[in-house]
Amino acid sequence: MIAIQGPSEQALASGRALTERLRARFAPVDPVVLVSSHRGGLVSLEPLEEHGSPDPPAGAPGVLPAASQGAIPGYASPLGPLLREGAARGAVAVAIVAAEAHDETIDWLERLLSPVLEGGVDFVCPAYRRHRTEGAINTGIVAPLIRTLYGQRLRQPLGTEAALSSALARRLLADEDWRRRPAEAGSDAWLVAKVLGSDARVAQAWLGAWPRPLAGPEDLGETLIRALGLVFGEMERSAALWQRTGPSRPVPTFGAEGFEPGGDGPDPARLFEAFTRGLRDLLPVWSLVLPPATLLELQRCAARPVEAGGLPDQTWARVIFDFSVAHLTRRVERRQLLRSLAPLYLGWLAGLAHTAATLDDAGFEARVEATAGAFEREKRYLIGRWRWPDEFNP
Amino acid sequence: MWSQTKITFLEAVQRITQTMARLLPGLLATILLTVFSAAVALVASALVRRVGSRLEVDRRLREWGMAPPAKVGDPGPTRFAARLVAGTVVATGFLVGLSVLESSATSALALRLLDYVPHLLMGLVILAAGVAGSRALERSVLIGAVNMGLNSARLLGLGARWLLLVLASAMALEQCGIGGTILTAAFGILFGGIVLALSLAVGLGAREVVARSLERRFQESERRDTPSSDQIHHL
Repeated sequence: MIAIQGPSEQALASGRALTERLRARFAPVDPVVLVSSHRGGLVSLEPLEEHGSPDPPAGAPGVLPAASQGAIPGYASPLGPLLREGAARGAVAVAIVAAEAHDETIDWLERLLSPVLEGGVDFVCPAYRRHRTEGAINTGIVAPLIRTLYGQRLRQPLGTEAALSSALARRLLADEDWRRRPAEAGSDAWLVAKVLGSDARVAQAWLGAWPRPLAGPEDLGETLIRALGLVFGEMERSAALWQRTGPSRPVPTFGAEGFEPGGDGPDPARLFEAFTRGLRDLLPVWSLVLPPATLLELQRCAARPVEAGGLPDQTWARVIFDFSVAHLTRRVERRQLLRSLAPLYLGWLAGLAHTAATLDDAGFEARVEATAGAFEREKRYLIGRWRWPDEFNP
Repeated sequence: MWSQTKITFLEAVQRITQTMARLLPGLLATILLTVFSAAVALVASALVRRVGSRLEVDRRLREWGMAPPAKVGDPGPTRFAARLVAGTVVATGFLVGLSVLESSATSALALRLLDYVPHLLMGLVILAAGVAGSRALERSVLIGAVNMGLNSARLLGLGARWLLLVLASAMALEQCGIGGTILTAAFGILFGGIVLALSLAVGLGAREVVARSLERRFQESERRDTPSSDQIHHL
């Protein structure tokens, strides 16, 4: 059973094509394709085709209840209704795919579904070929953080798409969070935290070029609030688990990883200017969140040219950990806290953009790996700050 | 001579005694009311502290930036509110006590002060809300302006804070009946003056700067070879 997420007109077209492809490839499995509506909830293809409406009213036949918030702007995660519908129909696997056009030079659907249907994997997390500096919140914050917390190396943990086995779907559906925390349960971060925190067999699949949404990018501050709010929230709830997790290990990967060629990244000098401006003006707010040693290090970074690499990985890791602790202790109102992270992120992104402009793919990948490694090395710092946020303040 | 002096003295003592006897119940009532109000103040203060602690008022106010960060020796908003409540209750009790005294001047003064207490309290509440709101607004404007890439973010934040503070102060003073129409007029002139000054500054002095800034912004959004941070997908 597949839920398609995205603009309804696109989803409807993709739904018809997907049904045919699934029938051809995975026969005798009978595919069920549902469309995630803008208002949340799932709609089967038939009422959509019948009404010709992209968003049938809630309560109409074929419309399932509303879904919870997702990390991607504009899309609610349809996971909850999908799991319930999957369990009711006895689905062998459930998956969420984006309505946007995929990379048809590879069999992306096969890569996403076959590890679950034929390979005994419980959860497939997709990764995409993107321009090097694109999705930098995933590259520089979410992926290293998830890897440090849960010990599994997923390259792009927060995305719209995923494939789950029926066993994992049943386990997730039985989770108490659907009743206790309905607003968060079903979100992308919730799914990743639950799966990586369990003994589920996890894999990642490179699905080719990123299915680029038609809408332009969302405001950076709002993206940080949406994505990191979810991740930090899950971090808070699974604190007992991640404090015991050991070093990370790679997960089985299907398909070849890589970056989209071409595409100039943002200008590192302008990004770094945003960081220095933030350091000049937001110091009163950051001083509530960051310890004196980190603030001093940031001031040193601002005094150096951007060619020196922007924010060092260790400092960046500590900054993210300190923000996660401030999110926990509510030192600063959470939306304001996450919005105030934007200049720091741009400072780190300046270094990444400079690396992207000067190194080849292998060099850039090594830089990304070094950032993730720094997060893991600083885990003891995170645990110390998490347990004693006021006392352990170096 | 001696007997006349004695009579005058005795009459004086008698008058004093009579006056004392007449005033004593009122005085006793004043003392009793003050003591009672002190007891009520203690209970009210403890109640405010408990509610504040239960609702984590201090933490919430600090979280929103409405109260400054905790420092050693700083009582914090809840303790300050508890002290204010206690002081108000004691003062009100004392004024009620004064009003029962059989002295027309004292009673009239006490009654006028009692009438004034609600206005004063409301004024204080408005001022406190204004101070708290102005701090929160300053932080919000500051973060927003920095993220928009404005160079004068701190100035904007400070400006927003002081505008709200001036507005709250004017409202509080008007509530307390201080200044009358002069205050309203002065506030109108000050506020209008600030807006006019800003308009003139932008319209005349910084016209070219604004034009260049807008031009640069539009050019940047059209320039696709070097996308800015708000033109790439961060997630």
